[in-house]
Amino acid sequence: MRTRPSNAMRRGRGERRSRGVRHSGSMRRLVAVMRKETIQRLRDRRTLILILAIPLVQMLLFAYAVDLTADHLPTAIADQSLDTESRAFIEALLVSGYFDAESYVTDQAAVVRAIDEGRALAGVVIPPDFAAAVERGDAQVLVILDGSDSFSVQAGYSAALSVAQARALKLLASKVQRMGGQLESMPIQNATHVLYNPSMKDLVFVMPGLIAMLLQVLAINTTAQSVVREYELGTIEQILVTPVRPIELIVGKLIPNVALVIVDQIVTTSLGVFWFGVPFHGNVWLFAWLSLLFILSGLGLGLLISTIARTQKETQQITALLMMLSQLLTGFIYPRQPMPPLVKAVGNMIPLTYYIRIVRGIVTKGIGLAFLWSDVAALAVYAGIVMFLAAVTFRKRLD
Amino acid sequence: MFRRIWALLVKEFIQTLRDRRTLLIQIGLPIIQLTIFGYAIRMNVEHVPTAIADQSLDPSSYAYVQAMVNSGYFDAAAYVADQAAVIRAIDEGRAQAGIVIPPGFQAAVTRREAQVLLLVDGSDVFTSQTAYRAITAIAEQHATELMIARLERDGQLRSGERILPIDARVRILYNPNLDDLWFLIPGMVATILQTQAITLTAASVVREREAGTIEQLLVTPIVPGELMLGKIAPNLVISMFNMLTILAVGLFWFRVPFQGDFGLFAWLSFMYVFSGLGLGLLVSTISQNQKQTQQTAMLIMLVGLVLGGFMFPRYLQPAWVRIIGNLFPLTYFIPIARGIVTKGVGLSYMWEHVVALLIYVVVVMTLSIRAFRQKLD
Repeated sequence: MRTRPSNAMRRGRGERRSRGVRHSGSMRRLVAVMRKETIQRLRDRRTLILILAIPLVQMLLFAYAVDLTADHLPTAIADQSLDTESRAFIEALLVSGYFDAESYVTDQAAVVRAIDEGRALAGVVIPPDFAAAVERGDAQVLVILDGSDSFSVQAGYSAALSVAQARALKLLASKVQRMGGQLESMPIQNATHVLYNPSMKDLVFVMPGLIAMLLQVLAINTTAQSVVREYELGTIEQILVTPVRPIELIVGKLIPNVALVIVDQIVTTSLGVFWFGVPFHGNVWLFAWLSLLFILSGLGLGLLISTIARTQKETQQITALLMMLSQLLTGFIYPRQPMPPLVKAVGNMIPLTYYIRIVRGIVTKGIGLAFLWSDVAALAVYAGIVMFLAAVTFRKRLD
Repeated sequence: MFRRIWALLVKEFIQTLRDRRTLLIQIGLPIIQLTIFGYAIRMNVEHVPTAIADQSLDPSSYAYVQAMVNSGYFDAAAYVADQAAVIRAIDEGRAQAGIVIPPGFQAAVTRREAQVLLLVDGSDVFTSQTAYRAITAIAEQHATELMIARLERDGQLRSGERILPIDARVRILYNPNLDDLWFLIPGMVATILQTQAITLTAASVVREREAGTIEQLLVTPIVPGELMLGKIAPNLVISMFNMLTILAVGLFWFRVPFQGDFGLFAWLSFMYVFSGLGLGLLVSTISQNQKQTQQTAMLIMLVGLVLGGFMFPRYLQPAWVRIIGNLFPLTYFIPIARGIVTKGVGLSYMWEHVVALLIYVVVVMTLSIRAFRQKLD
């Protein structure tokens, strides 16, 4: 492989003689590099299949795995009263949908043990003589939550309190009624509307971000190895003796990848919209153009990594780090708003941060350029800077 | 046999130590990761920027808005004129929640027919869930207080009497102050270690193959099993070192208490790291070139992250997704790490995960050796 002169080189050498018009020569060299890259891509079938299939696999897994609404917590129940009041209270907890009876145990120690073992994530302890205590107005219930699991603890906390409050209000109402009074309706009615995603489906929230993230992973991965690989294999020398200029080499390496990533973008987006039924509220063409801008910035970033790294192993370390940072800092899952400024600044260095807001804006909110212009501008500047840096470092490395 | 392994070990260690820059990255990166993540991830969303359209501006509406702001969950980001302006603020991303109080609120409260519209940005899941819960709870609480105050005034209830007959107390085990970091750090340590372990060995075999040096190794009397062990050994040292450094950052910098037995934790993380390195090795032997390795390793890391229980709770996943999650060592180690670090429980509470991890190591190593032999033919 190392000794076989590639197609591009042969063309390059032949071209040296007819170096008349600058512009058309540049075009021809560009086409030559592109042909070489495309052939290389198509030849390695297994990698190509991996590149195209991985985003689909990830998308399916994510879509089915992501469930952020922590309900149906497995709950250990210690009902030491076993009277009508305690049963009614437990019934109210189970009916709320937040708690599922995992086991019925005898006392608090057994509840704690069930949580220690990880069988239950929540526990309820109702002390003896509950009904009598309710009558006296000083009944107590203990709800125990697993503090090592962030999801269950937060949902369980508010659910338990609101179930208890509702139950208590109901009891209060019947008490007031018995005393001959009439409990009035609540003085304020609250109506809570969730915009864009009225049924609070996790999928509607996760899917746009997921499409954006898979796109970035793919864009970076496809180019990250390109230059460093030629260095490691020594084939870069062969390219350098041809009249191909650095910028032509870079653009030539990018274009086949752009095509590849666009195909992937179309496939994942259609899967999200048509298979998973995530509504697309905004303008499809605006989405397409801004996605192209994002793809360019992602590919540029990959290229920059490739020109900086010395070995493919290093590239892999950097891309893995970048992927992890992207998942955590860009607002894909965890909200950016509570992050400290320094961490936000690190997130700002990843193109995904801007694109996630754009995708959510267009797909979920259905808003247009007037609302998104600052992120679009940031992305455009980003793409420009990254490409420029990649070209500069590449040229430096040649010396 | 020992001499052969020894020779191989020496070669691998020399190779590892020679490439200073890579070694520095391998040692420094996990520390940087944990530090950034420790600051980045906050699951308790507070101070949600809120757009407020108070069209009454009377004492009742003030009290209502005050109750929201005082809760600490909502910050007044903007005071606007009407509902359209609130929605616009959420559209623009300036606010993530909104309160609309219609005109004549005070009178409506007296007539008991006051209405408030609460709006929540549904495109951001954590914020919308927290905001939804908080805003509903506070609003209900406020309404209940108003009602009880009136009952007392009307003489239907004696003041000072305990109003609600049931008092629910919530006790949170292991993490009474609900400090995010207490449950995040063990999961992060597990996640970072897996990523690190897989990346360390993923390139090893395929690299020798690409560079052609594998032929030189094969003509020596070394058998595949020895080769695999030799490849893993230096990385095992690096990974264990990583474990110590990031755990130290978690314990001393982020001040997360370590409740359990450190010796047990060290042994189990040794096993965990071994399984991760083995997985990387398997990827390395079945790949044809480094590019494929990278794609496969990425896939494993991403899927492991999603299904392992760090980001999303595992008990909510459908059964078939959980089975796929069982293919990653991370899935077993997260409960172990949380169990020892946060809960402080011992081996008897987590033996299933430990056994699973042990089987995992054996299976992955056997598969690697098998795959390597097949490739040779």
